[in-house]
Amino acid sequence: MELYVPILVLAVLAAGFAVFSVGIAPFTGPKRWNRAKLDGYECGIEPTPQPVGGGRFPLKYMITAMLFIVFDIEIIFLYPWAVAFDKLGVFGLVEMVLFIVTVLVAYAYVWRRRGLDWD
Amino acid sequence: MSTLTAAPITAPTIEYGELAPMLIIFGAAMIGVLVEAFTPRYLRKSIQMPITVLSMVGAFALTVWQGVRGVRSAAAMGAIAVDGPSLFIWGAILLLAIVSVLLINDDDHFVAEAAAVPGSAEEDQALSQGGAHTEIYPLVLFAVGGMMLFPAANDLLIMFVALEVMSLPLYLLCGLARRRRLLSQEAAMKYFLLGAFSSAFFLYGTALLYGFAGSVDLKAIATALSTVGGQDALLFIGAATLGVGLLFKIGAAPFQAWKPDVYQGSPTPITALMASGTLIAAFGALLRVFWVALGDLDAEWTPVLWGVAILTMVVGAVLAITQTDIKRMLAYSSIAHTGFLLTAVVATGKESQNANALSGILFYLLAYGFATVGAFAVVTMVRDPGGEAGHLSRWAGLGKRSPLLAGIFALFLLAFAGIPLTSGFFGKYAVFAAAVAGGAVQLVIVGVVTSAMAAFFYVRVIVLMFFSDPAPEGPTIAVPSMGTAAVVTLSAAATVVLGVFPQPVLDLAHTAAQSLFVR
Amino acid sequence: MTTHYLVLSALLFAIGGVGVLVRRNAIVVFMCVELMLNACNLAFVTFARQHGNLEGQIIAFFVMIVAAAEVVVGLAIIVTIFRTRRSASVDDANLLKY
Repeated sequence: MELYVPILVLAVLAAGFAVFSVGIAPFTGPKRWNRAKLDGYECGIEPTPQPVGGGRFPLKYMITAMLFIVFDIEIIFLYPWAVAFDKLGVFGLVEMVLFIVTVLVAYAYVWRRRGLDWD
Repeated sequence: MSTLTAAPITAPTIEYGELAPMLIIFGAAMIGVLVEAFTPRYLRKSIQMPITVLSMVGAFALTVWQGVRGVRSAAAMGAIAVDGPSLFIWGAILLLAIVSVLLINDDDHFVAEAAAVPGSAEEDQALSQGGAHTEIYPLVLFAVGGMMLFPAANDLLIMFVALEVMSLPLYLLCGLARRRRLLSQEAAMKYFLLGAFSSAFFLYGTALLYGFAGSVDLKAIATALSTVGGQDALLFIGAATLGVGLLFKIGAAPFQAWKPDVYQGSPTPITALMASGTLIAAFGALLRVFWVALGDLDAEWTPVLWGVAILTMVVGAVLAITQTDIKRMLAYSSIAHTGFLLTAVVATGKESQNANALSGILFYLLAYGFATVGAFAVVTMVRDPGGEAGHLSRWAGLGKRSPLLAGIFALFLLAFAGIPLTSGFFGKYAVFAAAVAGGAVQLVIVGVVTSAMAAFFYVRVIVLMFFSDPAPEGPTIAVPSMGTAAVVTLSAAATVVLGVFPQPVLDLAHTAAQSLFVR
Repeated sequence: MTTHYLVLSALLFAIGGVGVLVRRNAIVVFMCVELMLNACNLAFVTFARQHGNLEGQIIAFFVMIVAAAEVVVGLAIIVTIFRTRRSASVDDANLLKY
C-alpha cells in the first residue's frame, strides 16, 4: 500500500497545479478581446481552402518545429538519470547540471537572437 | 528470454585533468555562443577572436604539458584514450587550427548574412553593414573539439558522437562563402547528404559489432575476436560498414567523390581547416579502430585496404592531372596523399613495426597539414574581380608578377611532391619505408609511380607560374592581412624546417608512437 | 527470436540506402538517411536484448539526439539552397564538376 503513496502525492500535486493555474489565470492575465479571439477555433490558421499538396507555408513554422525537436529530444537523457538518481549521487547531479547548462546556453542564444519571436 | 540483472550502479569517474585540452575547447565554444547571444554586433568579433585563439593556445599548452608528464592512459572509464598518438594528434590539430583561425579571421571570405538570398536586397544591406557571421568562431571551436575527440575515442559510441560533433559545424561552415554563394551552398548540401549517408554506415557497423561483441568498447571487441565464435557474419559485415564510414571521412577511393566538390565550394579558410584537421582526426580514428579493435582480424582487412590504397593513389593522381581549378587540383592531390598514407596503415605486423608505421603516419600528417594550410592561404590571395582566381590559366605568369608569392606556392607544391629539403620528402620516406618493412613492397612501387605522376602536375603548375607569359588582364594579388601573411609565413617556415631539420619532430612522433594505442 | 528484428533492421537500412541513391528531392534523401539511422537504433535495441545489457539502449538515446541535431543542420542547409534556387532537387545542384 505504501508503494502507492508517491503516486497519490503526485496525482494530488498535478491536480492541484492544474486547478491552481486555471483558477489564477483570470485574475492575473490581461484581457484583450478581439474579433479573432471570438472567432471559431481552427488551429490558428485562416480557415480558407489550401492548394493541393498543402502549398508553401512560412518558414517560421519550420524554425519553431526544429527548435522544438532539438530541445525536446535533449530531455531524453534525464530519464536514465532519473532512474538511477539516488545511486549516482552528487556526481550524477553535477554532471546533469552541466548538461542542462549546455542546453541553456543554446537556449539563451535562440532567445537573444529572436528565434522565439513569432513576428 | 534473457533478463537484465539488477547490477549495482556505481558512479563513474572522469579524469578531468587528462581531458582538459578538449574541455577547454568545448568550454570556449560555449562561451562563444554566449558572446553571440549577449553582446552587440560590433563588439562580437573583437571578443570571439581572442577567445578562440587563446583557448586553442591554452589547450595546446596543456597537451604539451601532458606529453611531458607522460600521461598514457584511458580516461573516463576507458571511453577516451589519452595516449601518445592521441596527444601528438591533438597537438597537430591544435597547431593547424590556430594557423587556420588566423586565416578565418579575414572575414572577407565569409557571407554577411547566410539567410539572405544571393543577389537580394537583404544581402546588399547586410554587406553594407559590414562584417560577417561571427558564429563561425564557435562553430570552428566545436569542429576542432570534435576533431580532437574523434581519434581519441576508445569506444565506438564516443567515436560516432565525435564524428558528428566534428562534421555538423563543418557542413554549416562550408555553406558560408561570401562569393560564389551558389557553389558554396551546393558544396554544403553535397557534403551534408554524403556525410550523413556515410555516418549511417558507420553507425550500422557499430551496431553489428555491438551485436558481435556485446560492447562497443574497442578493447572488448578485440577480446571478443578470440572468444566469440560462430558470429562471423556480424563481425565481417560490421567491420566492413564501419570501414566505409571511416574511409569516407579520410576521402579514400571509392568514397572520394565529395572531396573535390566540397574543397572547391567551401570558403578557402574552411577548406584549409578541413584538409588538414579533418584528415588528421579521421586517420587517427581509422588507425585506432583497425589496429586496436580489429587488430587480430588483419588477415581479412589488409587485402581490402591494399586495394583501397592502390585505387586511392591512382584515382587521386590521374584525376588531378585533368583538373583546371586550383582548389579541385589540391583536393585530388589530397586524395592521392590519403592513398600514400594508407600504404603504412596496411603495413602492420610486430609491435615495433606498427610503431614505425604509426610514427611515419603522424609525421606525414603534420607535414602535409602545414603545407596544405599554406597552399590554401596563398590561394586566398590571388584574386579576380569576382573572388579568388580559381582557374589554373589565371595563374599563368604569376611568378613574373609576384615572385615571392609564386615562390612560396612553389615551395608548398614541392613539399606535396616530396622533393628533398621539404617536409614532404621525409614524410613520404617515413611512410614508404614503414610499408616496405611491413612487406607491402608492391604497394610502395605503386606509390612511387603515382608520386611521379603527382609530381608532374605539381611541376606543371610551377612551370605555368614561372615560364609562361602573364595574362594581360591577370588576377590581382591581394595585399595580405596580418593574419594571412602570418599563415603563409608560418606554414612556409614549418615546411622548410621540417624538411631540413626533421629529426626533433621525427623523434617526437617516434616517442608518441612507441606506446602505440592503449588497449 | 531476435533474428526477426535484425532482419527488419537490415531491410529498413537497405530501403533507406536505396532511397538515398535513387530519390531526387534533397528532403526525401535526407529522410532516407534518417530511416537508416533508425534501422541502426532497432539493431542496437535488439542486440541489447540479446546480450542482456543496457549499453545498446543507451546508445539508441545518443543516436536519437544526434539524428535530431543532424535534422536541424540539414534542413537549414536544404532550406537555404531552396530559397536560392527555388528547387530542392539534388540533380539541379550541378555547378561543381570536373
